[in-house]
Amino acid sequence: MSSLPALFGVLVFTFLLMRVLPGDPAVFFASGPNAGKEEVELIRKQMGLDKSVPEQLTLYLYDVGRGNLGRSMMTGQLVTKDLRERLPASLELTFTALLIALVSAVPLGVLAALKPGSIIDHGVRLFCALGVCVPTFVSGLLLIYVFYYLLGLAPDPTGRIDVFTSMPPSRTGFLMIDFLIAGDIDGWWAAFRQLILPALSMALFVIAPLARITRASMLVSLGSDFVRTARSVGLSWRHVVVTYALRNAILPVITIAGIVFSTMLGANVLVEKVFSWPGVASYALDALLSSDYAPVQGFVLLMASLFVLVNLTVDVCYGIADPRVSIE
Amino acid sequence: MPRAIHPRIRLGRRPKALAQYLLGFTGFSPAFWLKFKGKRMRFTSFKPMLQATAVLALLLVATGPLRAQTRAETLRYVTGASVNTLDPNIPGATRESFAVSLSTYDRLVSFGRKQLNGKWVFDLDKITGELAESYDVSPDGLKITFHLRKDAKFQDGSPVTAEDVKWSLDRAVTAPILGKNQLLTGSLTSADQFKVIDPLTFEVTLPKPDKLALPNLAVVYPIIINSKVAKQHATADDPWATAWLKEHTAGSGAYVVESFKPGEQVILKRNEGWNRGTADKAAFFKRIIVQSVPEPATRANLVERGDADLVIDLQASDVQSLEAKAKLKVISTPQYNAVTFVSMNNQIPPFDNVNVRRAIAFALPYDDMFKAALFGRGAPLFGATWNDGKPPNGGYPVPQPVKIDLDKAREYLKAAGLPEGFATTFSFNVGQASTAEPMAALVKESLGKIGIKVDIQKLPDAQMSTQINEKKLPFFIEGIVAWLPSTDYFYRNFYIGNQRWNYSSINHPELTAVAQEARFEPDKVKYEEAGLKLNAIHFSEMPQIPLWQPNQDAVMAPSVEGYTYQFHRQVDYRDLSRK
Repeated sequence: MSSLPALFGVLVFTFLLMRVLPGDPAVFFASGPNAGKEEVELIRKQMGLDKSVPEQLTLYLYDVGRGNLGRSMMTGQLVTKDLRERLPASLELTFTALLIALVSAVPLGVLAALKPGSIIDHGVRLFCALGVCVPTFVSGLLLIYVFYYLLGLAPDPTGRIDVFTSMPPSRTGFLMIDFLIAGDIDGWWAAFRQLILPALSMALFVIAPLARITRASMLVSLGSDFVRTARSVGLSWRHVVVTYALRNAILPVITIAGIVFSTMLGANVLVEKVFSWPGVASYALDALLSSDYAPVQGFVLLMASLFVLVNLTVDVCYGIADPRVSIE
Repeated sequence: MPRAIHPRIRLGRRPKALAQYLLGFTGFSPAFWLKFKGKRMRFTSFKPMLQATAVLALLLVATGPLRAQTRAETLRYVTGASVNTLDPNIPGATRESFAVSLSTYDRLVSFGRKQLNGKWVFDLDKITGELAESYDVSPDGLKITFHLRKDAKFQDGSPVTAEDVKWSLDRAVTAPILGKNQLLTGSLTSADQFKVIDPLTFEVTLPKPDKLALPNLAVVYPIIINSKVAKQHATADDPWATAWLKEHTAGSGAYVVESFKPGEQVILKRNEGWNRGTADKAAFFKRIIVQSVPEPATRANLVERGDADLVIDLQASDVQSLEAKAKLKVISTPQYNAVTFVSMNNQIPPFDNVNVRRAIAFALPYDDMFKAALFGRGAPLFGATWNDGKPPNGGYPVPQPVKIDLDKAREYLKAAGLPEGFATTFSFNVGQASTAEPMAALVKESLGKIGIKVDIQKLPDAQMSTQINEKKLPFFIEGIVAWLPSTDYFYRNFYIGNQRWNYSSINHPELTAVAQEARFEPDKVKYEEAGLKLNAIHFSEMPQIPLWQPNQDAVMAPSVEGYTYQFHRQVDYRDLSRK
């Protein structure tokens, strides 16, 4: 509830920002070979641009209040419908990427912290540096080139599912789950194969911050008194590292993971473009380039709400990881 | 820190439970696998995995041939753009939407095709019947009578009648949709011009014998809609059912829309009852998949690996390398109804001075630009020789007798009173960056040599179109295209009036008069004379500099046949077949 004023601010700010940007969407969309003044006026009226800005804002806020985000000129659909169809695609991709990143980054960070200065530590550092300095679309294109073009192992990088496979009945919008509910194992496998390359190229990029933060906080935690005590009483190595050190080191990792997740959702536009992934980020970019106001505003509002949600989740995760947080 | 160790007993178990819960959620839980196999087995054993693989392999083998067969009857077309409406008349409709509408709707007539330098292109002069079996033009050219096909049916099975044609064309000229402005160019402006004679005969009356009237009925917009269905979805605010037709089709075309996901893909299914193709039978492909793949490199990979059958918007460099590998069929057709320009605003100083425009025309590094931007893939419109300085023909566009000649350019600058040169900006839009960026760099370098300082400006597409519309850009790259490429059409639309498409903002009374007159000139010889006059004015005024006609590079699987370059610069799926 306390985040409502922030959301409102974001809404008004984006609305005004879009109006300030140069470029008249009506002229752009009237680019047919015979588009005359009349047509431009028609589109302007359709988009509500013939009214004054405060009037437009009031109307827009009224619509948003009723759950209507306007209509996209680009796809010709209601923005809410577009976003509802595309958000699961983005979320599924981002969740998978985050899962891959966490599963690989945390052990890497722990390993590096256990033997600081060793060859493993340097190896992890090199891997992280590479992951960060190769932009996601480059790694994406490379993965496509190797696994699709050269080896033929991956399916063609065109969206969430092979065009020849039929979609499962949509329940959650997450194909991985929908296929399981439908009991279609072949379909699940097809969707999984489509998902793995884009998720991997996104994960590569975020492994670095996660692994580095794990390493840093593991170093602190391994050097602390309670770990020394645990060691001194002769607890097993696994017990000391996993139960005590990692458990205490995981808080900053959760924080970073939360931030990384929010960034990934908005910033995975390049991956979405390269893999023709029908997600929200590429949708927003296309809309921005053509000055299609409603989708951009809807997207920003969606991202802001998601950010609020992610922060909430991170807070809840804190409580699970470290009960002290909820006590204090 | 005793507090940190304190919760160890509770904590020790919880993550495990959480992990199990998560695993269960994602479907990886042992329990799930046991259920899948229907037997009790240990998850860690490799046996179930092996068996699962075997089952999967069997499934693949079993479904393989079936899939391959349907694959051959399916055309998968990939594109960087997307389809955003099923009715091409909706303002904002994309070119891909036009292409889809060609297959889902019929028109009264359609263009024939001809061979140009060994490649099939549309033929503006050959109009064949589509829904009309035949048509007669009255001797004075004021009445066109269409005789409809007796066997034509809409996709819902009801017959196509003259009433439907009337409703559809009334809609095209009265509803606030794209067709209105297009049909205007063929003197089709009012519903009064359309008359139903009997259920199979339909008459169009013209105020003047306009030679573009008939071709205009073959373009994208005047689709024939099942009026009974459309009327059911009309509302008081929307009497022409534009909202409904945007997402639904009610036509008689060769393909039925099976699924439509705006911005992603459209799947079309063959209409078995359709027989209005040139060969009087249903279209070849059973299914057409039109899929958006934004990344050009990915599109090139897809078609090279044989996963896609046809693509027309690859980068020139990719086309070149694919052509060199010779594994695929590449059909490159100069877009003979399109022209790329370096344009100058004739109202903004110093470009209001004709000598400055001439100086620029002789200072552009044409050959280098052609190679850098298009890899030479197109028809050049420079470097021609005109005998006695007269245009060789009255067609548009005509190759100009210009080439880079810096001494001549300097002389023109001196004549313009600007021997020291000047500073200006040169703009292009982001969407064109792959071709325009190298061009802009070359223009800047070359003009620098004669003292013109150029600042390169790269604008987002919407911003560029706005500035062009407001006539604020002095010097920029743009392109034009005409569906009905006749000389007067080009000059009337792109060189007259204070409107957006008059990029150069030229205001030349003689040019205007000659072009307007030529529109209704029935005599071929006189029309050619008018064309010669217009081309001569263009060269002496040099309002903008035609550069070239870029190629449409259609890259397709070797088995795909029948590709024809169409006026709308998209693929007409009905043309295609697989051998």
